[in-house]
Amino acid sequence: MGKLERLAINDEGFIFDPETGNSYTVNKTGFFIIKLLKEGKNEKDIVKALTEEFEIGEDEAKRDLVDFLEQLRLYGLVEAQNV
Amino acid sequence: MYRVAVSGINAVDNPGPGVGIAKGLKESGLEVSIFGLAYDAMEPGIYMKWLIDKSFIMPYPSEGEEPFIERLLYVKTTYGLDAVIPALDAELPLFIKGASLLESYGIKTFLPTEEQFKLRGKDRLPEIAERIDVKVPETRIVTSYEELSKAVEEIGFPIMIKGIFYKAYKAFNIAQATSYFSSIVAEWGYPIIVQQVVTGEEMNVVGIGDGEGSHFGLVGIKKLWITSLGKIWTGVTVRNERLLSATERFVSEFKWRGAFEFECIVNDRDIYLIEVNPRFPAWVYFATGVGVNLPGRLLKAALGIEPERNWDYEAGKLYIRFTDDFVTDMSEFQKVVTRGEG
Repeated sequence: MGKLERLAINDEGFIFDPETGNSYTVNKTGFFIIKLLKEGKNEKDIVKALTEEFEIGEDEAKRDLVDFLEQLRLYGLVEAQNV
Repeated sequence: MYRVAVSGINAVDNPGPGVGIAKGLKESGLEVSIFGLAYDAMEPGIYMKWLIDKSFIMPYPSEGEEPFIERLLYVKTTYGLDAVIPALDAELPLFIKGASLLESYGIKTFLPTEEQFKLRGKDRLPEIAERIDVKVPETRIVTSYEELSKAVEEIGFPIMIKGIFYKAYKAFNIAQATSYFSSIVAEWGYPIIVQQVVTGEEMNVVGIGDGEGSHFGLVGIKKLWITSLGKIWTGVTVRNERLLSATERFVSEFKWRGAFEFECIVNDRDIYLIEVNPRFPAWVYFATGVGVNLPGRLLKAALGIEPERNWDYEAGKLYIRFTDDFVTDMSEFQKVVTRGEG
């Protein structure tokens, strides 16, 4: 099972990793991205969804996504091959 | 009604496991009367009558086997005693050695063997780790300043300086390393363990080996908040399959019998074994609270009743320790001081 699949995420953006015992909070945007990642969406789909949901340009969406993914990687919440 | 003695009822800032064990026993579904074995009239458990029905002051284990066993036999003949669950490292050798004698008087235990008990020594960790395919931090056993400097040079800073059973400090330079070395030697003697610092999540598993290679349940936790003495104050259950499998390998490889605590540092790649304790940890009630009543199961094993083996606990359960207080009569204290029981 991939790292993302095992995470317990509630509707308020609280994330618990049952394997390490660590917990995190994400904002609305982060929560939106994580949900899509868990559904198995790829980077392109997520960027598109972000532009539609938050009414922003593709470049900004891309930048924010790359930034967020890097954070997730830093905390060991996604593997490199996840996205 | 089973009469069970429990030690380690020193519910202080460095708590013994006794009160947590007593709570588990009371919730086990068995009808139990709990006797506390204390070493000081001030041990709070003595006064916690809602959990510990009666308490006895014990002779120190260092006074030898005879007075210790005699005291237990006094409890047996005066009040009845079916089983003992010892919880302190210092008294375990006496109980292990005296187990068959106690058994012959009808006092049951469920303890590790003498050989298993010896594995608790930090100097035995590399051997355990190799047999169950986990790692240990690079380690040197030293008994002099020369050996200390050599070990520090080989391993590099930061570095852990540890006593063989107690105390552990992180040193960032040779002055700190030397000072920690001296203070541990002064308090606990030689040898000193010098160890590589490894990164990862510190996780512990509590369990009971059945003595035949399997177990009566495991619960894995991570400490979220600790006191200055390193004692857990809040924690969370985790399900780290690699760690739980390593613990099962430990139980099966050594045919572990009785309670144990398996302490590790876990990162993405490796599991580092830090310590094995041959008894319940002070936070053992955490296991009971998530549905794996290990103290109750240990008592059943001791009494010859087949314990449950399910251990499907949930990850993400929180453990909260807190301070509490109550008022009682001086006469309670007087009884303990003058009669040695109360």
